[in-house]
Amino acid sequence: MNMHNLRQLQLHSQASSSHPPDPGDTSAAAAGRWAAKLLRECAAAVAEKDSARIHHLLWMLNELASPYGDREQRLASHFLQALFCRATDSGDRCLRTLTSVAERSRSFESTRRVMLRFQEASPWATFGHVAANGAILEAMEGEPKLHIIDISNTYCTQWPTLLEALATRSDEAPHLRLTVVVTTGAGDSVVREIGRRMERFARLMGVPFEFCMVGALPRLAELREEALKLREDEAVAVNCLGALRRVSTDERGAFVAMLRSLQPKVVTVVEEEADFSAGAGDDFAGCFDECLRFYTLFFEMLEESFAATSNERLALERECARALVGVLACDGDDGAAGGDSERRERATQWCERLVQAFSPAEFSDDVVDDVRALLKRYPAGWSLLPARAEVPGLYLTWKEEPVVWASAWKM
Amino acid sequence: MLQGLHSLQPINASAAAAGAAPPASPSASSSMRPPKRCDRSGAGASGTAFSASSPSAAEGDDDERRSRKRPNQQADPGESSVAAGARELEVGAATAAGVGEGEAGGLRLLGLLLRCAEAVAMDRLGEARELLPEITELSSPYGSPPERVAAYFAEALHFRIVSSHIGAYPPISAAPTAALPLYRTLALIQNQRIAQAFHAFNSVSPLVKFAHFTANQAISQALEGEESVHVIDLDIMQGLQWPGLFHILASRHGHRIRSIRITGVGSSLDLLEATGRRLSDFAAGLGLAFEFHPLEGKIGHIADLAVFRPQRKEGQVHGRVGREEVTVVNWTQHCLYDVTGSDLGAVQLLRALRPRLVAVVEQDLSHAGGFLERFVEALHYYSAMFDALGEGTAAGAAGEGERHLVERQLLGAEIRNILAVGGPKRTGEAGVGRWGEQLRAAGFHMVSLAGGPAAQQAGLLLGMLPCKGYTLVEEGGCLRLGWKDLSLLTASAWQPSAAPLSSPGEGR
Repeated sequence: MNMHNLRQLQLHSQASSSHPPDPGDTSAAAAGRWAAKLLRECAAAVAEKDSARIHHLLWMLNELASPYGDREQRLASHFLQALFCRATDSGDRCLRTLTSVAERSRSFESTRRVMLRFQEASPWATFGHVAANGAILEAMEGEPKLHIIDISNTYCTQWPTLLEALATRSDEAPHLRLTVVVTTGAGDSVVREIGRRMERFARLMGVPFEFCMVGALPRLAELREEALKLREDEAVAVNCLGALRRVSTDERGAFVAMLRSLQPKVVTVVEEEADFSAGAGDDFAGCFDECLRFYTLFFEMLEESFAATSNERLALERECARALVGVLACDGDDGAAGGDSERRERATQWCERLVQAFSPAEFSDDVVDDVRALLKRYPAGWSLLPARAEVPGLYLTWKEEPVVWASAWKM
Repeated sequence: MLQGLHSLQPINASAAAAGAAPPASPSASSSMRPPKRCDRSGAGASGTAFSASSPSAAEGDDDERRSRKRPNQQADPGESSVAAGARELEVGAATAAGVGEGEAGGLRLLGLLLRCAEAVAMDRLGEARELLPEITELSSPYGSPPERVAAYFAEALHFRIVSSHIGAYPPISAAPTAALPLYRTLALIQNQRIAQAFHAFNSVSPLVKFAHFTANQAISQALEGEESVHVIDLDIMQGLQWPGLFHILASRHGHRIRSIRITGVGSSLDLLEATGRRLSDFAAGLGLAFEFHPLEGKIGHIADLAVFRPQRKEGQVHGRVGREEVTVVNWTQHCLYDVTGSDLGAVQLLRALRPRLVAVVEQDLSHAGGFLERFVEALHYYSAMFDALGEGTAAGAAGEGERHLVERQLLGAEIRNILAVGGPKRTGEAGVGRWGEQLRAAGFHMVSLAGGPAAQQAGLLLGMLPCKGYTLVEEGGCLRLGWKDLSLLTASAWQPSAAPLSSPGEGR
């Protein structure tokens, strides 16, 4: 009996391993980018208000999609959610729920962990940090008192390097005041904890430091000069990393004007290169296409930068899913009934706005070298592209596609 | 906006396709099955993902056929008994679980899942959609067992909610889209992926081996003294089970088996033929005369017994290869896709075939019943499965990768099917609850596996496992494999009674 058992076991595993069935990789390749095909057809049906076709395609997508499957399945899943919200007129409500859940569930530790892992795995975020820091340091050369107004969602991960540079560059480190502008998403207690850590770090570096917070702004567009409590003797730098896109499209002009009123020595602007501004009503199919293009790229990048079973990658993908609901399924431009927008614009579009108030400040060769050195620390696929003639600044490219744009501006 | 879709009423959770008999609605307690006594006081499923309590020995069970735990049923007539049972599960788990963030997190997930499922069962889809984001946020397929179970249940709930809105079955549109051929290709790829994941499942869990070894043992016993056998495998997949049987038959003393014929049923002719080639190689290696006949389709749709006759012997009613050929039927049940097409049709076919033996291995999970009932059962069941897989995983990235593949491609797919409108059959036909009962009603009687070679072999198999949480129970002639007293698979064997078999509809 024992021998039988053993032999059966052997044969069983033999049978199992000798011919693991072809997972259909070749046919999968033949099916290619199926998510894009089905999703585009569905978006076209939505734009044409063709109920029957919408039905049919949503059904197919629902069968095939999975938030935990391969890249095509995950793309299908997140876009399906946005399309479903749109088709059932539940975008605003859905976004509100998603946003509040994210706010409640994120702790300081978990957010920081995701962010740091992302920065370790990919230069997507750190590119902007290095470029912006370089521009700020050069613009503030010789200034004894600096005031950096940080309008970004990077939880101050950008500043330790800058503090180090301030400490080592000159004999006497200048005084640095850092004001972090927070919209409700981040959570005040989280930012205050960050502030405490920054203060400790600055003490370590020997840089006179002051941390301020402009907290709980319901919308970024409501930021006013008064809230920043500017001081006469400070040189102001405004750091807008992924910030401008959080302002609703029709208020962006006013926001830029407000920035000018701060009389900054330098404004650093970093944005992802995509155009979601077409608006929910005007050109849905076009906006959808652009979302598909951008997020396919982003998901591909995440897949190649992270381990397959990474919880951090999962968190980042879920953030994308939330943004998609906002862009594709919500009418208003304000995100969740008064929250942040996610309507990215391309560099050319930002430039049109920024030249109304500022003129470009090109990155010096030193800064460009710093960025190049940064990219060498990451796996292959990343590169730099100086922006074109009419668009100042620098692009980060992933597999030849421009994905992030960094620029600096002066009065 | 899109009024056409917006005004669409979500399909009633308890209704299947139009025209088919709807499964029992959980909100009408009168249609519930008779209450089952709870086997353990208070706590929910033992040793499963959501509870930290250690398993206690099972007390008596008033259902002789099942050792599966059922939540206690409240007497409150105003509330659905399953919902009440679900609430008790929550309370039970709360009392049983210790303190600690892991358990607290698991409890919260459990509570949210149950509330969401109740909302779906009551057609309060808006409410369900409000609850899902938090469940999703707290869950992850790469986390702890409760987080992983929750991730797949949340995914399945979302799938269910969407399909409730847009229709559970492919809509009949006047102008089919160009996407349809693409969809079919993708569905095929999905089946191939399932086959691949099944291999991984076989290496991370003893369930497959238990099913195969036990059935093979029962089959070989039934073939004592026979020389020529015809095996009909109702869902042959990769044919993993059969080399073992070849070996048993080729090496037994006494009447040596002269020929083996296998009819393998499956959905893709290509995959079937590949399986056939593989099995031919094995048989040749053992010097056995072997023939493979692929049968593309679903067993419940086959009306003509002629398809089971040997191809080459024309003019003969039953293939006589030397002595008369003996037919046995094998079926290992799962929720990955609909195997039978029509459960009733399958039973009728088995009656008509009068095989020497029908070897069945079924999941201890009812595929019939209303949504909430299926949900709660599945939560018990898959919590145990995920726990078992978690403990059995080899350390390191490769082991975890394999486990993740199994969870995602197989268990996740099953969970999705179970929660779908109409349950795993997805055809709207009222599915069979327990195959054993069904066969008995159709005039088969059970051949006990207790105390015999099948039981011994299963015991040996478990003994060889490094992971010690699996349990083996002999009950009522069946063999049950479980994880910490929650029964996962039941193996049984059936023979047609000597008396003429009852006609369809009787004894149901």
